[in-house]
Amino acid sequence: MYSRINNKDKKAPLITLVGPPNSGKTTLYNYLSGKKSKTVNYPGSTVNYSVSKILSKHEINADILDSPGIISLIPTSPDERVSVDTLYKHPKYGHPDIVIVTVDASQLSRHLYLVKQMMESNFNLIVVVTMIDILKRNGKDIDIIKLSAILGCCVVKFDGRNADGIKHLLEKTRDKIVAIQKEEIILPVAKFQIDRDKLLLSYKQIEEIEEEVIIDNNNRRNGQLDISSINDNLVVLNNRRAFVKPDARTLKLDKVFLHKYWGLAIFFIAMSVVFTAIFWIAQPFMDWINTGFENLSSFTGELLGENLFSDLVSGGLIPGLGSVLVFLPQILILFFILELLEDSGYLARGAMLVDKPLSKIGLNGRSFVPMLSGFACAIPATMAARTIANKKERFLTIFILPLMSCSARIPVYALLVAFLTPKDKPYLGGIFFTLIYLFSIVSSLIIAAIANKFRDRIVKEKEDSSFIIELPAYRKPKVWINTKHAYKNAIQYVKKAGPVILILSLVLWVLTTFPNFDPSIPDADKLSAEEVSSAKNSERLAGSYAAMMGRFIEPVMKPMGMDWRIGVSLVATFAAREVFVSSLALIFKVTDDDEDTHNSLLTAMKEAKFEDTGQKLFTASTIIGLVVFFVFAMQCLSTTAIARKETGGWKIPILQIVVFTALAYAFTVVVVNGLKAVGVS
Amino acid sequence: MKRADDLKIGERAVIKDVDNSHPSSHRILEIGFTPGQEIELLNCSAFNDPLAFAIRGTIIAIRKKEAHCIHV
Repeated sequence: MYSRINNKDKKAPLITLVGPPNSGKTTLYNYLSGKKSKTVNYPGSTVNYSVSKILSKHEINADILDSPGIISLIPTSPDERVSVDTLYKHPKYGHPDIVIVTVDASQLSRHLYLVKQMMESNFNLIVVVTMIDILKRNGKDIDIIKLSAILGCCVVKFDGRNADGIKHLLEKTRDKIVAIQKEEIILPVAKFQIDRDKLLLSYKQIEEIEEEVIIDNNNRRNGQLDISSINDNLVVLNNRRAFVKPDARTLKLDKVFLHKYWGLAIFFIAMSVVFTAIFWIAQPFMDWINTGFENLSSFTGELLGENLFSDLVSGGLIPGLGSVLVFLPQILILFFILELLEDSGYLARGAMLVDKPLSKIGLNGRSFVPMLSGFACAIPATMAARTIANKKERFLTIFILPLMSCSARIPVYALLVAFLTPKDKPYLGGIFFTLIYLFSIVSSLIIAAIANKFRDRIVKEKEDSSFIIELPAYRKPKVWINTKHAYKNAIQYVKKAGPVILILSLVLWVLTTFPNFDPSIPDADKLSAEEVSSAKNSERLAGSYAAMMGRFIEPVMKPMGMDWRIGVSLVATFAAREVFVSSLALIFKVTDDDEDTHNSLLTAMKEAKFEDTGQKLFTASTIIGLVVFFVFAMQCLSTTAIARKETGGWKIPILQIVVFTALAYAFTVVVVNGLKAVGVS
Repeated sequence: MKRADDLKIGERAVIKDVDNSHPSSHRILEIGFTPGQEIELLNCSAFNDPLAFAIRGTIIAIRKKEAHCIHV
């Protein structure tokens, strides 16, 4: 298949955006791309980049493609490899007709390196110089015309803050498009090999270019020549280059943010604020979504009457949809905060701070972002791990990601914590939650450390662990663009995880509804319609496939102090954790008539008894046991699928399922029986 | 011979050579640590590793091990 977006007769030219990280590439993409921007995957991996038609008001009929940042055409990590492969030939989009390279003016000597490689590869280039404001803040300027003449290609300025220069860029792009339709197509030439001498020569040439085009106004303060800075520049003659100080404001801020003790304190405070924000800001929205879907469910139930179709819609489809959307607020907030941290320049510094401790347990400073995202959802988190160059570290990071307390666990913990929290001491709930999070973080780190001991047996790869990261200049984050990105990412999550969860909740509905769909109720005429309906519900469930499965696995549940009913719910959670609450509600015959489901479920749980002994089913020890189970168990098919894709095999996902589920079971048995032994009910 | 990880915070030095002892030495060159370039050690992380260097007008954090193959 060879098609592009809105492709009619002739294929539209393809423009690919490349550039080093932090060179303003994505900002430019946001100005150029139209509304219909979509994220596409590179076949064979899940590295995604955006592709879009150029915004229609720019009057250019072309596709524009954005890909992860690269510093050279020799990739070291999977995300870079995809960017480079995309440049040479994307299986679906072909090779780009025009390549726009972004170059940070204050980083000219480093960023021109990629430009030089691109020129040697025969790409049809437009060089876009960004961040001139930072250059000017440091008393310098750049001669674009000279740069264009030296490079022998088209160079334009662009200001990311106000889109200044975009008209000129579009003009040049239009000219190029006209030109390529006349010219013969020149295919990019062979890929780059590691060649030290060539690299050093390139840098030498780039340094000469930089001397030519950067205008240093600092030498002419007050119209007079400044002797000291001339002396500074004289060192060039001694075959060494003048020292260029990084952004002054950034240096000042780093004195605090990277301070030996303060830096660490700020890091921990920042992380606590992030988690609190995710939790507290999202809560009311999650409650609204929950209530909304419950109301919708009971409303459609009444509207459609008592039949199979009605039950499918109100008991299967709508709750299933609700269980997907309920995480949207949290995921949105987490993505937004991540964007904010990245845009401001702090994220790279956070990664630097945790690199040492993480490397002790076989991870990398770059594991920090995936791990942080893991608290929203393991799916995007697993994809974020592709920035880790070393295979062992990448696989180990992916391996432990399901242990991060993802948002799907929150409704489960919320229910369990509510059960444990005494009515007169509501503040205990918050403390319990914090304890669960701390417990999950600590145990995931311990498991990583243990898994690290075995990693040579699991992944065969040479030891080339590295941590090289640019700490970009601090900038005021562009909140509106961050919001847009967070929204895009969250929507992508819904599209990816949504169908899976939806299908699984339908399967669950089938399993809990059939084969005993319409049980006969004795003395039905003596009961009210509502009582008949609820009796039918419970009879239906007791004779369902799910109940059969539950009874089958009951011997396994017994050591955990649980019965088949919890067993059914737990089996259901292996598809997706969040199903736990709704399946418990279904199994304990909770109807959402007057009270809200949550409270009536709690009441039902408190009254539930073992069917044989009549003892209470849910006690403090079983509830704590369930929490432990949810901390460890690998209960998410989507994560399994994505882990298989990202690691290119079944080894890691199968290890995750086996190891984490075994751990969950063992720990739960130990915790429940241990608690009972020391006298906890 | 002095190496980049021997620098004190605030100390500047000119890179003499980058040896091939680390698998990432090519990447270290690519990112801008080339001979003749002056660098300054700006910060070190709370755990003494990685180190943040000022180079070519930006800040790059690298591990001590990687800094060790930069001769100054």
